[in-house]
Amino acid sequence: MLRPLAKTAHVLVVDDSPTMRRMIVTALRGLGSVKFSEAGSGLEALELMTLTPIDLMILDLNMPEMHGIEVLQFVRAHRTYSRLPVVVLTTRGDETSRSEAAASGATDYMTKPFQARELFELVRNLLPPSKES
Amino acid sequence: MTTPDSEAPDNFGEQFLDDYFAECDEHIAAVRRHLLALDQQVGEGRIDSALLDELFRSFHTIKGISGMVGFREEEQLAHRIEDTLRAVRQGDVSLNVDRIDGLIESVALLDRRLAARRSTAPLPVLPDEDAAAIQPPDAAAGTAGSGPLLTFSIEFTPTPALAERGININSLRARMQEIGEILKSTPTVKGQGEISFQFQVRTHVDLMARPEWNSEGVQTKAEAHVPDIHRPAPKVASSNVVRVDLVRLDELIRIVGEMVTSRARMEDQVKQARKNLPSPEWRAMFESAQTMARQLRDLRDGVMRVRMVQIGEIFDRMQFVVRDMARESGKRVIVNVIGQETEIDKFLIERLMDPLLHLVRNAVSHGLERPDERRSAGKPPEGRLTLRATTIGEKVSIEIADDGRGIDVERVAERARATGLLAPGVPLDDARLLELICYPGFSTRVEADRESGRGVGMDVVKSTVEALTGTLSFSTQTDQGSRFCIEVPLTLAMADALIVTVCGQTYAVPQLTVREVFEVEPSAVRALERNEMIAHRGSALPLFRLSEFFKLTEPHHSRDRRFHVFVTGTGNNALGIAVDRIVGHQEIVVRTIGDSLVQVPGIAGATDLGDEKVVLILDVPALRRSALQERMMRTGN
Repeated sequence: MLRPLAKTAHVLVVDDSPTMRRMIVTALRGLGSVKFSEAGSGLEALELMTLTPIDLMILDLNMPEMHGIEVLQFVRAHRTYSRLPVVVLTTRGDETSRSEAAASGATDYMTKPFQARELFELVRNLLPPSKES
Repeated sequence: MTTPDSEAPDNFGEQFLDDYFAECDEHIAAVRRHLLALDQQVGEGRIDSALLDELFRSFHTIKGISGMVGFREEEQLAHRIEDTLRAVRQGDVSLNVDRIDGLIESVALLDRRLAARRSTAPLPVLPDEDAAAIQPPDAAAGTAGSGPLLTFSIEFTPTPALAERGININSLRARMQEIGEILKSTPTVKGQGEISFQFQVRTHVDLMARPEWNSEGVQTKAEAHVPDIHRPAPKVASSNVVRVDLVRLDELIRIVGEMVTSRARMEDQVKQARKNLPSPEWRAMFESAQTMARQLRDLRDGVMRVRMVQIGEIFDRMQFVVRDMARESGKRVIVNVIGQETEIDKFLIERLMDPLLHLVRNAVSHGLERPDERRSAGKPPEGRLTLRATTIGEKVSIEIADDGRGIDVERVAERARATGLLAPGVPLDDARLLELICYPGFSTRVEADRESGRGVGMDVVKSTVEALTGTLSFSTQTDQGSRFCIEVPLTLAMADALIVTVCGQTYAVPQLTVREVFEVEPSAVRALERNEMIAHRGSALPLFRLSEFFKLTEPHHSRDRRFHVFVTGTGNNALGIAVDRIVGHQEIVVRTIGDSLVQVPGIAGATDLGDEKVVLILDVPALRRSALQERMMRTGN
């Protein structure tokens, strides 16, 4: 069953660093009618997305309590979200996780430090077209 | 769709420097705590892998955000530490004392680099509220009851209705952390695409007896006992902590302060309206005013609480310093920390940092003896350093005590007599001893050694504490050790004050600096060697006239009138400050005078008393110093 497109896209940013979350949201600020939610842990992210539908997830891997890969596996196992665009955004040096992320169903992958512009382009291409544009 | 802001990619990170430094601070504070714990565990031969994970993640985050703000060296440094920790985690290298020393050194380097970065950063240097310090570092231990430890499994299914009532993962987790320790947390996807969360909690509280743990969305079951494992270290920052800039908070406090003064004015007006209003109407108005006063007090306390941070982080930092010094000097030191959860105004604790570190360095380098010395003195080879914080009413007391050799009183006395600071035959009690060691330039050491020669001296310790309207006290005993105690008000932003008048001018005197007040007959004043004294409580109290100090004159000012005196200091340090009248007592909002051009000796700040006229706040410690100097000059003539 296809989910009707939300009028305002809802992007969930999952990262345990509040500074990093702010950077990501700032980098994506020009996306137009997009609503951002932030989660500081995997559990928080899963809770948030069961309560409000989301259209895209930006996911850090190395987080306390629950690793990003686990979050991704839960997202893919979830009926509503099996095809959710998930951008894995992880710190330089973790390149080994790239294949793991791909195997677990990551839509795309980017390394931190990221270029604001590149992240912006990547996310814009993954978002469902907004009704206003 | 619009395009993103046209920032060049390389300075995108710069706008986040404030957040960056604040988050690094949080991580470094947590890292210190974890390294100290790890150090102890290495000594005991058991290493908690959760602690390693926490450490690893802190450096991982520092690496990530350093890269984003373009600090390549910090990124590299964090990366190297991360590599070491990864190797330890994977069992490739073993963790020993040397490796921990190496880690500690790297952290110190990182900390110094960040401090240097911050001081040259173009952004204002205002550290954000410390989230790590706000969180109770040991919530589980704090509420540990005496009952048996029980384990429960809790299942939570979030729903929008529950979320609306504030029941969500974070609030539930906070509740669990309040009563005990979360051992496990896992999500499961249920049939209908619904996610639920399973927690395993260990606590002294019997959750089965608490209905709130078996309510809508939350299901709790008792479990068989789980063998004891090490409690995971507290989280660095959870996302439900809000960072607040101290400047914004000060603004809020200023507004609350203005409300306090407006209310004082309203109270006067209500009192005056009594004669013009029918009694029932007046009574209703009076009662509303009373209610508002209470609410305002609550509001004020609430705002003040936000400024409070736990002292534990400072104590951790001190333990770090002690550890370093002990290693360098071959001494063995056990640090006892008591009262880490004591809360104190963030502004105050930042000012007290250097003095406290100085006292700790002194204790380790001069107070505590080497193991062999201690053994031959019949003491255990490990020296003991106690850091203790307690709240006493509106004050916080911070104590630093060692069980070392104590101060060589004879040597200090000898030196003091030789330099004319101590009259022959005058005994040296603890109070005089403290005065001497805090005298600028006075030190029994010929040359200040590295540890205690850094940054501040005892004179700076004393003047810093006094500038914060605090007191420094001291006691020492040969071969038993020394003990320094700093007492400061919980906060400086608001204070109770005496309102005094001199030659038609009004001043506010912070009440914590005043020991007693009384009225004096002019005939009771005696002149002794050009100094004025009054007999008080069986001894001579030196008198210091505020009118003379501020060179105030008034036509009607007469020396033949009775006047008021307030006493500050105790024992030999007592001083009577003479004013015309003490006209009342009021809660004031303290505003420091930042502009050095308008800084006046003897004035600590300004306030207003509700009549919109600015009233100056007396700097009592500065007045005391100046009285002392004057006295010495006069008697020296």
